Amino acid sequence: MRDGIIVLFLVTVVIFVLGHVIGDPAGLMAPVDASDQEIARLRRQLGLDRPFTEQFASYFGSLLRGDFGQSLWQDRPALTVVLEALPATVVLTLVALLFAGLGGSVLGVLAGARPESLLDRVSNFLSITALSVPNFWLGLLLIVIFAVQFGALPTSGFGSWQSLILPAGALAIIHGARVFQLVRSATFEEMTKPYAMVARSKGLPERLILWKHILRNTAVTMLTTIGWEYVRMMGGAAFAIEVVFAWPGIGQLMIHAASRQDFPVLQAAVIIAGAFVIVANGMVDLLYRVLDTRIRAA
Amino acid sequence: MKTTWCKNFALFLVGAFFCLGAAAKPSRPLVIAVSTEPSTLDGQAVIDRNSRVASGNIFESLLDRGANGQVIPWLAESYKAINDTTWRFNLKKNVKFHNGEPFNAEAAAFSVNRIVDKEFKTQRASYIENIKGAKAVDENTVDVITGGINAVLPVQMTQLVMVPPKAAKEKTFGTAPVGTGPYKFVRWDRGREIVLTLNENYWREKPTIREFSVRVIPDPQTQISALQAGEIDLVLDLLPEQAKLAPKFISVPATEFSYIQFNAHKKELADPRVRIALNLAVDKATLAKTIYQGHARPMDAQHLAKGMLGYNPKLKPYPYDPKRARELLKEAGYPDGFELVLHAPIGRYLKGEETSELVAAQLKEVGIKVKIQLHEWNAYRKLGRIPGNEANAFDLKYGWNSNEWFDASRIVSHITCDGTSSKLCDKKIDELMDRAIQTLDQKARDKYYQEVWALLNKNPHAIYLLQQNLIYGLAKRLEWQPRLDDEVRVASMRAG
Repeated sequence: MRDGIIVLFLVTVVIFVLGHVIGDPAGLMAPVDASDQEIARLRRQLGLDRPFTEQFASYFGSLLRGDFGQSLWQDRPALTVVLEALPATVVLTLVALLFAGLGGSVLGVLAGARPESLLDRVSNFLSITALSVPNFWLGLLLIVIFAVQFGALPTSGFGSWQSLILPAGALAIIHGARVFQLVRSATFEEMTKPYAMVARSKGLPERLILWKHILRNTAVTMLTTIGWEYVRMMGGAAFAIEVVFAWPGIGQLMIHAASRQDFPVLQAAVIIAGAFVIVANGMVDLLYRVLDTRIRAA
Repeated sequence: MKTTWCKNFALFLVGAFFCLGAAAKPSRPLVIAVSTEPSTLDGQAVIDRNSRVASGNIFESLLDRGANGQVIPWLAESYKAINDTTWRFNLKKNVKFHNGEPFNAEAAAFSVNRIVDKEFKTQRASYIENIKGAKAVDENTVDVITGGINAVLPVQMTQLVMVPPKAAKEKTFGTAPVGTGPYKFVRWDRGREIVLTLNENYWREKPTIREFSVRVIPDPQTQISALQAGEIDLVLDLLPEQAKLAPKFISVPATEFSYIQFNAHKKELADPRVRIALNLAVDKATLAKTIYQGHARPMDAQHLAKGMLGYNPKLKPYPYDPKRARELLKEAGYPDGFELVLHAPIGRYLKGEETSELVAAQLKEVGIKVKIQLHEWNAYRKLGRIPGNEANAFDLKYGWNSNEWFDASRIVSHITCDGTSSKLCDKKIDELMDRAIQTLDQKARDKYYQEVWALLNKNPHAIYLLQQNLIYGLAKRLEWQPRLDDEVRVASMRAG
């Protein structure tokens, strides 16, 4: 918890510094042919002419009060802008996580239990491929195949449930592939442990060994991996996928805000995404502890 | 048993999935894609194109542009300058805003006074320059007052949109805009789309398209996919290499002129012969054919195209003649050439980086070694405004000059001795530019500007490159001839 807060504070410091060292919001907001006086006036209006420390102090004070500042681009509170986009991101990532978790785990267990089988080879090949290509490229590929060639699904946007399939599918493939890899190797490892051999020598059917013993021991890996994948998703891949699929979540919002150098919105979005990552992290830790006790008790 | 059930279910899923696509698509309203979401729909506040795709169909101005780019009366029936600083507009009668407010002199005066108010912070700064305000004379007559002589006022009035006094005072005007135009605002789903519908009480002939939406699709590749899949009808600003992927495309010469500006104060570039040599050394036609795949053409050695005020029909592009270029350099005392730095912004202009590379390579052929330096936009812009001595200013600078005014006066800051972006000083040019600003006689202005460009032909301020095209991607069913300016008017479209 304490670590989480420290991390969040550092996040705010870093993005604030980046914003002020790299960017010049007034220069970008002003029209192309604005004179230097006009730009200077704009800068004063936005409070960008005050000393750096003063700006940071007032910024951080406002943050504590839940005030992330006014969006330069939309001229309304930055937090409102971000919170409006957040549900779309949450829906997309949770659905993707569900499929990544289910698909990756089921295939991972089956492949790990029968190494070198056809299923193992095919799914392993596919997951390595999925992990090796850039995620936006995978998204574009899915669009070209399923939306343009087959016309089966919408290319992009946020309307019917169908429009969720491709972006969630792309994300699920990217993250499911990693879940698959870890679950597969964990299962394989458990299968070769002495207790599995003992069970096998007792004549227990393979299926029973898998579901009763192996799964219990790989469950921890499975769940923590899935939790980690959520953290990863919220840390980047989801945003790239949102942009490719014109999904109106905070990823797309951040791209728009960045192109307009709208720092209040960028800051709010990064901090909220950061908070999500920290909470997800905490939940993984918690889950790990709960599961661990159960295993020891069993 | 269990496995067969699973298999059947999987088959069913796959089948259902493809059936979704096979189902007939009902005809849907027109959709236009934009890459970034507008910041506000208040037509007086912002100037960027993505906003205008929506607001340009909601709002109208006193004047507009016709098919050839000429200024025509619109919400005003007629207009004329009654003295050096007053323009009188006679307004159309019986026009109403979408909310029922009457469009009259009071509304017109309010609109002008609203946008020129410093507190209003419009991005359309150049469109209110030298306008002081307006006052209603009677119910249907309004006077616009300028600071001094302002010959481009009619041009400015084509972009100064009329807003209803009551609604425009509301805080929500930017998210619930009200105009006199052919389309009414319906709703705005943030990050997704803006929906507009036909204004049933429109004062002119009613358009055939009853409803359309402006959808946000940031990725250019996804835009073209959506166009191919038949989900959208119009994509703006295709890349040259994307044009052929679209079901249909239209490439129109834009009011954008690309050039490489000289710092004529720099020792090596002070001699006009050197600057002419550099113009001769660049193969503009090849540049247009290769990098832009034909979606551009060499400009006629002036930042203007036929039909624009000040266009000099006698001028032609400098020919590609590296031999003559080398001779001129020799005459000027640089037989072995010299070194220069070419500055260009990153990701601002379509293929700007590639163009810079090509120009650098061609200048090398005549002995001038060019080093390219890329800058982030703000840094690039600052660089262009360093007051003119050669110690800290640029040598060469790549940029686009957009002339949405269709008027040569747009170039003033680039070529006069005191111009904010100028690195050239020629007293004769200054004198002509001054005279052109001092008169409301458009014929005289045309003549002065033609003379300016003739002078610049012997004393160039830049390497004159290309008039760039805008490339629109269209769905098969859409019939539309884009205008010469970059406005997207749905009223002029037809969808089969």
